[in-house]
Order: sequence, then structure tokens, then C-alpha cells
Amino acid sequence: MANITNRREALFKLGWGTAGLMLGTSLSGGGFMAAEAATLGDPLAPKEPHFPAKAKTVIWLHMDGAPSTLDLFDYKPELIRLAGQEVPASFLQGIKTSTQGGVGKLFASKREWKQYGQSGAHFSDLVSNIGQHADKITFIKNSITVGATHDISILKLNTGDVQPGRPSLGAWVSYALGSANPDLPSYVVLYDGNREPTGGSVNWSSGFLPAVYQGTAFRPGDSPIISLDRADVVGNREQQDDLALLKKLNDHRAALRPEDTELQARIRSFDLAYKMQKSAPEAVDISKESEATKEAYGLNDPVSRAYGTNLLRARRLTERGVRFIHVVSGPAGDGVGDVRNWDAHQKLEDNHRPHARAVDKPIAGLLADLAQRGLLDSTIVVWTSEFGRTSYGQSGDGRDHNPWGYTQWVAGGGFKPGYTHGATDDIGLKSTDKGVDTYDLHATVLNQLGLDHLKTTFLRSGRRERPTVVYGGVVKELLA
Amino acid sequence: MTSTRSRAYVAFLLSFTSISAVLAADDKLSPQAPAPVAQQAAAPAQVAAPAPQHWSYLPVVAPATPEVKLKDWARRPLDAFVLAKLEGKGLSPAGETDRATFIRRATLDAWGLLPAPQEVANFVNDSSPQAYEKLVDRLLASPRYGERQARRWLDLARYADSAGFQGDATRNNTYRYRDYVINAFNSDKPFNTFIREQVAGDEIAPDSQEALVATGFLTQYPDNPNSRDMIQRKYQITTDMTDTVGSVFLGSTIGCARCHNHKTDKITMKDYYSLQAFFANTSTTEDIKAFQGYAERAYLRDVADYESKIKDIRDEKHPLIEKYRDKAYVYHKERYLTDTREAIFKAEKDWNPTDRWANHRLANWNVTNDDLIVAGYLRYLADDKEAPGYGPEAKADLDKWTKLATAERQFLKDKPEKGSDTITGVEELGHNEAPKSYIFFGGNHERPLEEVQPAFPAAISSDDPAIKPLPYSSGRRTALADWLANEKNPLTARVFVNRVWSNYFVKGIVQTTYDFGKAGDRPSNQELLDHLASDFVEHGWSVKHLHREILLSSTYRQSSDERPDVAKADPDNRLYAVFPRQRLDAEEIRDVWLQVAGRLNEKVGGPSVLPPLPKNVSYGNLWQVSKEKEDWYRRSVYIFTRRSNPYPLLEVFNTPNTQISHPAREVTTTPLQALALLNNDQVEEYAQALAGRILKDAGDDAGRIDRLYQVLFSRAPDEFEKAALLSYLDNHVKVLEEKADNNGRLLVATPIGYKLSESKVDPLRAAAFVDLVHVVGNSNDFVYRF
Repeated sequence: MANITNRREALFKLGWGTAGLMLGTSLSGGGFMAAEAATLGDPLAPKEPHFPAKAKTVIWLHMDGAPSTLDLFDYKPELIRLAGQEVPASFLQGIKTSTQGGVGKLFASKREWKQYGQSGAHFSDLVSNIGQHADKITFIKNSITVGATHDISILKLNTGDVQPGRPSLGAWVSYALGSANPDLPSYVVLYDGNREPTGGSVNWSSGFLPAVYQGTAFRPGDSPIISLDRADVVGNREQQDDLALLKKLNDHRAALRPEDTELQARIRSFDLAYKMQKSAPEAVDISKESEATKEAYGLNDPVSRAYGTNLLRARRLTERGVRFIHVVSGPAGDGVGDVRNWDAHQKLEDNHRPHARAVDKPIAGLLADLAQRGLLDSTIVVWTSEFGRTSYGQSGDGRDHNPWGYTQWVAGGGFKPGYTHGATDDIGLKSTDKGVDTYDLHATVLNQLGLDHLKTTFLRSGRRERPTVVYGGVVKELLA
Repeated sequence: MTSTRSRAYVAFLLSFTSISAVLAADDKLSPQAPAPVAQQAAAPAQVAAPAPQHWSYLPVVAPATPEVKLKDWARRPLDAFVLAKLEGKGLSPAGETDRATFIRRATLDAWGLLPAPQEVANFVNDSSPQAYEKLVDRLLASPRYGERQARRWLDLARYADSAGFQGDATRNNTYRYRDYVINAFNSDKPFNTFIREQVAGDEIAPDSQEALVATGFLTQYPDNPNSRDMIQRKYQITTDMTDTVGSVFLGSTIGCARCHNHKTDKITMKDYYSLQAFFANTSTTEDIKAFQGYAERAYLRDVADYESKIKDIRDEKHPLIEKYRDKAYVYHKERYLTDTREAIFKAEKDWNPTDRWANHRLANWNVTNDDLIVAGYLRYLADDKEAPGYGPEAKADLDKWTKLATAERQFLKDKPEKGSDTITGVEELGHNEAPKSYIFFGGNHERPLEEVQPAFPAAISSDDPAIKPLPYSSGRRTALADWLANEKNPLTARVFVNRVWSNYFVKGIVQTTYDFGKAGDRPSNQELLDHLASDFVEHGWSVKHLHREILLSSTYRQSSDERPDVAKADPDNRLYAVFPRQRLDAEEIRDVWLQVAGRLNEKVGGPSVLPPLPKNVSYGNLWQVSKEKEDWYRRSVYIFTRRSNPYPLLEVFNTPNTQISHPAREVTTTPLQALALLNNDQVEEYAQALAGRILKDAGDDAGRIDRLYQVLFSRAPDEFEKAALLSYLDNHVKVLEEKADNNGRLLVATPIGYKLSESKVDPLRAAAFVDLVHVVGNSNDFVYRF
């Protein structure tokens, strides 16, 4: 390392003695005035909602791979009674299944069910920790969607279309409300595992909205954003010296073009970048959280540690004004085959047990923590997945995909706590009414943020586009 | 489910037209009783468009050159049209920009790269009256021109090297389409031929490899190979092709009419589905054998090498495949949805055109290969107690299979990482009979209404398509291509010249380059637009002619300095009295860095390359970094376009959305861009390499700074800049010293390609110079062209 030749990096042995100066951080990592940003034509300048908002932040918990809500929240004694029998034909009317010659026999897993809270909602033994918060939760037990495969239904869940190309809900929120803290991205995506989630950035894409509104992936580890860290050959003081020169050169040239706000914005973007180098790692640094908090989020259990870390980060981002926090659940168990996500086509027990353990305590911890800090009223927690799973079995001990009736839930943000909306039929296969589609969920979440989904529009190629495409409506019954 | 969705549609339709309201009133609509609905839906077509009125639907007529006062200013015919508008507003054009700024501007616009300092000096000192012509002709003759211009076309074509969706399968031969586009621009392929080949190359010239590759334009749609609903897939693919053609060639938002009659343009759902009908019989084939040239033979040798390494494993797998293949395929096919199953279980003699399409997709799609199918089936047999054949034998076979598959995976690293011996293109499977096309209620393909025939949108054209069925193909796309590429088509030439114009002048003459309909922008200068369009067609649809006219115009030669009088009279600069400065595209930023670092590998064409990702980013097996280092330094147009995971250094600077046709690059300015330029290790490397080049060439600090400015900005630094940079150097050496630890050791970036040990330059001063180069390379003057 010591040879001073053509290496990219070299360690110099120098005779000048020790480094003297400690750095004066003249650029603080603290709050940058929103008004300051607005003057620069900043696309992320804060914007007023259409009407007073109930909530400021959305925490979007996507259970990747689609859990069987029949084994978590949707208690069906009739399914347990009929387990092992053929599905009565009446239940299959109107649905297109993907197996020829009939579907598997009705299947019940070995669950213990309990009622929790004043509401008496049922929770299975897999989610007993979440059950402690029954009275904070609003269940949507008649959720419906389209699609038989994950990719298109995940797209629809996040963007409203089964074809890639539309903006995700978080991008719409960023676009419509701007940023409440310019030191951090306004739309953050959290995931664990050692690689990007399948399907990747298309699920937090800005679609046809300007790219500035897309989700910024916060990766696991201390340095959440790509290129956030200075190269190891560059020191902080050195970078400050560089940035001072950059500003001097840019200001000098910009003086020739006093009306050019785009050049001004670019000059300012380096200040923001410098601040983000500090504010982003600080926002995800959980080292100073109390032991009790860490325990509550499941950080002491290796199975739930990764997801719990993400939810604790989500709370910290909520406190810092991030508008939309999109958390994708990661692998659990040994991380191969069907246990990389909730997709239990077989061996549901082996799949769901570790996956539930990975999220149950962290989610309970998040709800408790938000409530205790007085943040739950202004934060919408959405527990969702691309679809549910069938009442009939697959491979003897798993379940297939079910877009016809499954459970999602929301908490906080002005939703009616301890309330259950809609239902599936007696075996938990289909919604008993028209159901709540992803568009309705989107419209309702936007509504709580003070946004009318019909008025949240963007003119794209001559079309006035909105988040709910041409569908959807606010589900008023869900609101407090 | 169905009832919910139809209700949603109804609510939507209600809010728009009275016709739809009538429709909505009948809540008992069903596909079984479509008659009254069909009549309603057809109604708008009958009332639509007695005569085309909208400006862009009227034929292009070459306008007479207007009279202007400043006659000498107008060097090219287009200038008179620009000037006439300015004079009408009482404005004068801007002064001429200096030659150095001009050559930097023109080289970036034509090539996406910088002129070398010597090229700048030659041009600045060229006293020939032909100096500009010589420069422009040199720019247009270089292959760098095609690489730059192709990129914008690839945006429109939603080009990608992968299929998108969750699996995001690699499309390892799609680079052939990218190379076709580059070659088309470089060889100045007439634009009408370019259109015809891309839309109907397989029908027009079925024996031409080039024409088949060109049809890759239609096959760039995102796709999910494991879709269980092929009927829905077919509809989505046809929709994608229709909407792309409408948007790219016609500048039309015709896709709106898929779900409802167009709100502003007189385009009905009938028009829309009639346009879809041109693509009704179109199938994609991914393994058309390519001519075996040098590259293909090399690729096949690599494949043979790889296969010889896994031969023993394959030989052991073979009996297992033979044993289970038939049952495995049946099992696989059973897992499609009802309508699809009907098609794929039918005997071939009973196939209708849709069945043919579905069976072709099943047979061609790469998920349908023996290994995957058999592996899936074996897993099912071994796991599912209810499976016919469940038992110890299946378990043993699965174990054996897993062992072999694991062994085979060890050799994945030896698999040829790039190249192909195939082409992806479209064809009609040797049949000229197309599936029937219908209007779909609310865009829902499960609710067909009235049948439609291929037809052009009535508001744009009253011509009947001249469809001549071929023995092997319906001939429909040829009829469409001939109409699009016809000089009488009022939109094609206008839309294209406007796109080219907008690449130079940021704003199009019609600002909505993607919408020439009624909701779109009115042209700020229709005479200018029509002049460019008719001149383009008169010159044989020569794209280079169009570029040459613009590059040589006085309009393009104007200074970009701010003009308060113009800002007042024409705040949006719609009349072009100021040349608009522009941020470089993502590709330009990276390519220019590579160029000035002396790293750029100027190889043209070939399979896409995968340079290293930033630290802490892993796309798993979706991004296997190219083994050969020179591949890391190719121009950005050759970087693998992974739909699910775009290349981060480019993506941050607004690369196109690859899911749909992308009409224009946005410019957003974000801290994430600043972070990329400050901290990306490749940008750091480029700065080190550029610093090394300059330290080698130029004598003292002042000389180096001057050289740096000549390389990056085609100009010398002014006194302020010189002073600032020299004082930075002096001070920065001290700042670097302060980094030293207790042992006096410190880590700095050093110049690359320059031996510090053999030089007289103080090593720390050299390191400070690297930082200086990095800073100057991050400045606004670098990422903008003026």
C-alpha cells in the first residue's frame, strides 16, 4: 500500500507530523427550511393537500409472496369443519382457477385462535403479538384484486396496473405533497435480504411522473443510499474544501445567468447532498435506541431482527417527516425455495411459522411505539399483500393464490380502530360483497393524507392521469 | 369480481360522455347480450369527423419562404421561418455564439461527446468560408453520430435487454435491434424505409436479416413469461404494439380510446380497436436463426466449449427428462387459466388463429424448456401426497435431479456471458388468417362488443387500408406501414422533425412532442414545422439532411446568453430568439467522463455490457459484471438495460422509463445526483485518470488548469477562475496534510497513468490536483452545454 505509483489509492508516509485540525462542521445536518427549497422551483417543495389531512405519513408493509390470511386473521370454523373435503361447487362459482380437473381439497392448518381486545377480533397463534393491538386495527376482510401471479399483482398493489409503467402510490404522494424534510428523500423503500427484492424498482417507480418522485431504496446496513459515503480516499474536511471551491466556480458562472433557477438548484443540490451524507445514516442509526425498544421490535431474536430493524428505521423516518415508507418483507427461515417469501404453495407450516415470527413482534412493536410517541394518529400503517391464499390446499399442505377474498388491515391515521370491514364466505375463499379493491385502498389512504384521488392528477401524453387509473373510491366505512 | 370491475368502469364512463351515460344506465349488460351496447358504442363512429379539421390532421403543404428584413441573417431556408416570427414580435435574433462554444455545443448534440482541444483549435482558426460545413459534415459522418441519435430512438422504442416483471428474463439477442437502429442513423437509412422495416419487415422482406431484426421494434414490450393467462397476455401485447406505434409515429394519444371514446380528439373506441386489428395476427419469435458471421461462430464455439464441460451431467439428466417429459408438459399446461388451457390442449388441426398464437408462445417462450418443466414436475411428484406418481421413486429421482442440477450450476461461470446466434422478431406463423378483432367494453378483453376490421383512424384518414394477404402473413402490417411511411400522412413527418428539433432546442415547435392531437400543444410556428417536414420528405426522408439543416442554421448558431427583452416578450422562448442551454443526458455525462479520462472504448455495436455496480449494490445473478475490463468503458448506449434494476449511475440522471415509449428526457435536479458525482467510485476513477493525463501533458499549475479547461469546456479559465483554482491548490495541500494519522500516514486519491515516483510534482500537490479535477468536473459548466 505504501508505494506511490499508479495506484488508485496510496498511503503516504509523510514527515509532517500529526493531523491538527478538527473539523468545524459549518454545514449542519439539521432542518433545512422548506421555504428555502420552495424558492428554487424545487419539485419537492411542500404542497398543500386538497383538504385538511388526518395523517402525514404512510408506512406501507408489503408482505411479499402473499401470506395466507386464513391462517392469521380470517377465522373460519366452517373451513376447519370441512377440511379434507372437496370444495362445494357453490363456492367456486365465478372464479377462474388455474388447475385443471378441479382444485385441491379444503385445507386447515393447525392453528389456535384467540379473540383480542374490546373488539374481540380473532388472531391466530402466529400473530399473537399483533393481537395485543387489536383495538388499534381496522380490518378489511373483503379485499380483492386481479391476477394469478405475483409480479402482476404486486404491480397492481403498488401502482394500480398489472402492466409496468405507472407511478407507485408513494410516488403519487411525493408528487402531491412534496417533501417535509429536504434532508431526506420523501419516499423511502426498506427491505432486507442480501439483494434487491424481486421485480425491483418498478414497484417504487415514479412511472410517468418525473423521476424525482420515485422511491429511494434504503439498503440494509449503515449506509442506506447508493453513493452516500465519501470514497475512502476523501476526508470530510477535504470534501468541504472541494464543495467550497465548487460553489465558488458555480456561483461565478451562474452570475452570468441570473435568471437561471435550474443552475441555482443544482448549486443547492450539493449542499443538500452534503447534509444527506449525515442525515441519512443518522436517520437509520438505531444504536442509540433503548434496549427496551430494541426488544419490543424483536431485535433480540435472530429471526425477526432484520425486519424489526427496518420497522424501527421506519419509525425514525416517520419522526423525520418522510412521507411514504414502503417496507418489503424479506426472507425467513433458511432463505431458499419457498421460504424466501410468504409464498407457501406447499408446507405452509414450515413457511408461515418463520415468516410470521419475523414480522409479528416487530409489527406489534411498531404499533406500540408509534402510539406511545403520539405518532399513530398521524401515521397510517398499512398491512398488505399482493393477494391472499386459497381455502383449498395445494400439494397437500400448502395453499394457492387467492385474489377473490383476503384480509388486509390498516391502523392509525384516522381509521376506525377496532373495526372489521367486510367478510369472506364461510370457507374464506371469496368476498361476500363487491369487495375492497387495491384502487379503493389507494383512494382511502390518499383521502387520509388530505388528497382527493380524483383531483390528484398529472398530465401525461395528453391524458390526465390519476393514482386510481379509472377506478376506485374512498371506503368511508373504514374511517373514524 | 367481474361485477365489481364493470361497476367501476360504469362509474368512470358516466363522468365523461352522454353516450357512455346511456351505456352505463343499462346495468345488466353482459357479454352474452351485447347487441344494444354494440349499437351504442358504434354510434360515435358514425357521427365522427365529417372532414378533418384539426391542424395536424390536414396534409402538409410546403409553405412559401416568408419575406424578412434581416435577409443576410437567414443562412438556411428554415432561418427565414424563424426570423419572420421574431420580426413579427419585434424581436431580433441573438448574436452568434463564439466558435469554441459552437463546436462544443454541436459535438455534444451530434455525438454526445466533447470535441478534443485540437479539434476546437482547428475549427476556431479555420479561415475557410466552409469551416462550419466541414465541421458539420465531419460530425455527421462519424459513427458516434448514430450512437447518440439511436439512443433517443431507443427511448421511443422502450428498448431493454430484459423482459421486465418479476423474473426479468434476459433477452440476449435484442442488442441486434439496438445495432440496427445505430446503423440506420449512421447509414442515413431513409426514414420511410426505417418505419416500414420496423413495422412490417417480416412481411416486406422476409428473407432479409436486417428487416427481421428491425421488427424487434414491436417486440420490446415488457412481458411476464410465467403468465398463466395467455389470452390476457395477447391482448396486453397487442395493446402495447398499438399504443407504441400510435405514440411514436403519429404523436397520438390514441391509447386513450381503448377504454373510452377519446375526450378531445375524434378518435373512437372503434378507431382504436380497428388499429389494434393490424397487429391481431402478430406473434413474436425469439429464436430466428441469424446469419452465422464471425461473432455468431465465436459465440457457438463458446457454447460448444461450455456444453462439452457439462456433457456428462447432461447425459445423466437425459434419461430423467425422457422419463418425465410428456407428463411434465401436461402438468405444466394444466396450470394455465381456463381459456388458455382450451387453446393449448387442442389438437393442431383444430387450431384457430388465437390457438396458434397461444401454442406458439408456449413452444417459444424460454420458460418452456425441458429442464424447468421436468424439475417443477418432479418437485410436485415428490412433495404432493395427492400427486399421481407420488412415492419413493419420485423422491429418489428428485434427489438425483437435484444433485445433477447442483453439479451443473458449478459450470454456470463458464457459460458464454454474451452473444447469440438468434434474432427476435415478429411473424404471423405462416398463416394469413387473423383472429377476429372486437371493441372491448371499457377496455376489458373479456367483454367483446362489435367486431372490427383493420382501419385507419377516421379523423386522420379516410383511406381504406390496402391489405394484400401474403401466403404466410395477413399483410395487415404492411398496409399500416405503407400508410405511416407515406408522404401524404399528415402526422409522420411532422412528428419526427419536431422530435429532432426538440433534441436541439429543448422545446419542440409543438411542445407536446407526443401529442399532436387536440389536447396537445399548438405549434408555435406551424410554417417552420411544415417547412421542415416537407423539406425532409423532399430530400428522400434523409435524417442526416434534417440534422445538417439545423446544425448549419443561424438559428442554431445563436448565443445562449440571457436576453431580458426576449424573456419579457417570449418568456417560454417558443420563438427561439435565445439558444437554450441544456443539461447533458445521463449517457453524455458518463460518456464524456470516460472520454476525457482517456478510458472510452469506442467499439461500435455487439452484445450489451455490464460495468461494475456501485459499492453495496447487488442485483444477484441479474447483473453479472462483464469479465473483460474494456467492456466497462463502452459508451452508455451499450450498457445492459435491465428493466428491474437500471444501471444506477445512469438512472439517477433521468434515463427513460423502459416500460413504455418514452418521448422526452426530463431534467430533475436532486441531491442523489450530486452524491453520485461526488462519491461514485467510477467517477472518482475518471477524475484520477483525467488528472493523470493532464499532469503528463502540461508544465506548471497554471498550465495544467488551462489545459483542464480546454479539455472540459473548450475554453481557457478566466482570471477569477485561475485565481480561485490556484489558491485552492495551495490550501488543499494543507487540507490533505491534515488527514495524516499519528504515524504521518494518509490516504489520498492519486492520478492514474502518471508515475508519481518519476515526477517532480509533489505527491500531495498531485493528489490535490486530482481533487481539483473532480471538482471542476462536477461544475455546472460540465453537466450543461451552452
